[in-house]
Amino acid sequence: MCHGISGNCRTGIPGLELIIKVKGEIKKNVATTLVETATPVQYQAGMMKRQRTVFLLAGAVLLVCMAMNVLVGSIDIGFKEIMDILINHDTASTKGFIVWKIRLPRAIAAALGGGCLAVAGLLLQVYFRNPIVGPFILGISSGATLMVSIVMLTSVTIGMTLVNPFMCTLAAFVGAYGTMLIVLLIANRVKNGVTLLIVGLMMGYLCHSVTSVLVAFAEKEKIKGFVLWQLGSFSGFKWSEIEILCIVGGLILVLVYFLAKPLNAFLLGEDYAASMGVNIRLFRMLILVSACALAGMITSMAGPVAFVGLAVPHMVRLLFATSDNRVLIPGAVLVGAMVISLCDFIARMVFNPVELPISAITAFFGAPIVISLLLKRRTKI
Amino acid sequence: MNQALAVLSAKDLCVGYGEKAVLENVRLEFVKGEFISLLGPNGAGKTTLLRTLSRHLAPLGGEVLLGGADLGKIVQQDLAKTMSVVLTEKVVPPLLRVFDFVAMGRYPHTGWRGRLTEKDDQVVMEAVAMVQAEALLYRDLDTLSDGERQKVDVARALAQQPEIILLDEPTMHLDLKHRMELMSILRRLCREKGICVVASLHDVEIAAKISDKVALVKDGEIRAFGPPEDVLLDDTVADLYDFRNVRFSRVLGTIEMENWVDRGRVFVVGGMGSSSVLYRLLSKKGYGIVTGVLHRNDIDLHVARSLGAACLVEAHLDGISQENMEKARVEMKDCDCVIDTGFELETINAGNLDLLKDAVSMGKPVLSMRNGSGRELYTPGEYGAIKFSTSESNLVEMVKCLSLPI
Repeated sequence: MCHGISGNCRTGIPGLELIIKVKGEIKKNVATTLVETATPVQYQAGMMKRQRTVFLLAGAVLLVCMAMNVLVGSIDIGFKEIMDILINHDTASTKGFIVWKIRLPRAIAAALGGGCLAVAGLLLQVYFRNPIVGPFILGISSGATLMVSIVMLTSVTIGMTLVNPFMCTLAAFVGAYGTMLIVLLIANRVKNGVTLLIVGLMMGYLCHSVTSVLVAFAEKEKIKGFVLWQLGSFSGFKWSEIEILCIVGGLILVLVYFLAKPLNAFLLGEDYAASMGVNIRLFRMLILVSACALAGMITSMAGPVAFVGLAVPHMVRLLFATSDNRVLIPGAVLVGAMVISLCDFIARMVFNPVELPISAITAFFGAPIVISLLLKRRTKI
Repeated sequence: MNQALAVLSAKDLCVGYGEKAVLENVRLEFVKGEFISLLGPNGAGKTTLLRTLSRHLAPLGGEVLLGGADLGKIVQQDLAKTMSVVLTEKVVPPLLRVFDFVAMGRYPHTGWRGRLTEKDDQVVMEAVAMVQAEALLYRDLDTLSDGERQKVDVARALAQQPEIILLDEPTMHLDLKHRMELMSILRRLCREKGICVVASLHDVEIAAKISDKVALVKDGEIRAFGPPEDVLLDDTVADLYDFRNVRFSRVLGTIEMENWVDRGRVFVVGGMGSSSVLYRLLSKKGYGIVTGVLHRNDIDLHVARSLGAACLVEAHLDGISQENMEKARVEMKDCDCVIDTGFELETINAGNLDLLKDAVSMGKPVLSMRNGSGRELYTPGEYGAIKFSTSESNLVEMVKCLSLPI
């Protein structure tokens, strides 16, 4: 703890420092001494103040990003025109079609997808108490990829020269949730988190090995399509898919919010959690089911979008300066949505009209951000 | 023992992993406000026993009763309100402040969101005050030292407001200051809060001094369970840890390294508490010790015995008998030098001064720590023959310089 030197003194709770200043007790050292003697109520109020500010900021940035995703695109449509199209629900004209059937669904899907993936990653990072765990650690994406590779690379697409996107979604869905069921069955028998983690990794390798055999025998043209699918994309979302995303994803997110308290207990490991009154078997299942269901849903619709689920939980933790999942869960939804919206915008616009895969952008911009946040805060995560 | 008072009891309990029983026929009864230490060598099953008592492991046989109810059937949340644990596993979640960490202990008492009420805040602050960690309240958990961390762990366990706290090796990795601080905190929990504290400990000396009861765990059973004064006898402790060259002294409450003779033999004329430090030093340096003549009530006698020195003992609180004087002279002949510890001279140990004078006349090298006017007890001739020293360490250096046969 730093004593004395007011210049270098950072409490790490800006809200609290703010309170102190408002009270008009600004002297040297006051900030530190008061923090040390702050009552729990003051302390909690300080934390909440900071968190509220971050929530508002993240929400505002998210709205701006989503608006940009609707307003800007490879075809120029004026702001006024777009507002007309939106207000009049004009889907008939070409521009109306672009806004209503392409840009708007895509913007919403990207935001929802980002939120879901971030929460899935957060859940698994907390459960496994491992910072390098992401939503796909249990083999969800590998299972989806395997099924998609079967559809895209073999001749299952009998008679069809172009791969039907719906077939892809269906295959990914089957693959993701098939893997999830297997993992959950194993989780029911394995008591140790690390064992489960390794089982998940091995599942991933198994699926990958089969996929790579399929790739070896596949035709050249098909491989490019498959590789691009693997990198994920939020294009081509239909309103029906968005409805599913909203309802199912929304329900799971609400459930996850109810898990926040036991999740906090899981921060200390299963033994401590049990000793504090957590029903380990029940909540372990709920955590795994929610995480896998969220990740599986997004993967089946948008492909395995890399990095977001791994990095956003870190960003959220550092932004909100807490490990409290009651804050982190809504935080991850917002920041995840914000990050993906921004990345999707960049993916569409940088080499316009060529569209980059979303995973390329998420990792390219996200990784340095996480590293710099970590270095700046000197916090172990 | 009053059945109604028992907070936690084990009846014919069998603990272990899978099919393999680690401890069998465990019968224990822990009462409100008691400090109980589990002692035993590594791997004896202390942790396994604690994990079974805390329901982290299912018993292989028998039963554990918590407040009279079967432990296995208690609702998890109710269990958490009655019992809390401090484990050896030290988890450090990032970005977690001490206040929030301790507040996690309120888990079984808060609603679905875990929102802290005013009362919860109060309990947390009390717990933090109890372990004297107020200064750490808003520190990040990962900036704490081992000792601070352990105190905060206890505070978290305390925030559950339990009737019983189980601690697995709470003093591991702690320096002496924090070890003693923690032990006194734990004892205050027993005395002031009436909490039953059960801890597995390695330090017999501390356990003997702090515990209301100790349970000795060894070879698949509880060897003994009861007050340390009854249970921790010299032989039982030696047997518990398979001591070879180490001795436990019930009277002194300490462990001493047994005399390992690889140098000469020295005769120490001492007593009245003047020689304990010298005994330990000589013993450490590898000298064989013969000492006398000591009276039965002398602290020096207990120390000398726990070091395995040969002692000449006077059974009555009276002058030294001729028989003992004779024995001492015989022993002295075999020794390489004779040491005078500068003991206070009273009528009952006047014989010891005669022994020293005899040693000089025998031609034995005599070293003395007597100083000031005490030296006038010797005649000028004797004074010339004796080498004087002011401290034990200096004296032992001088013994070394006598170039005794090795």
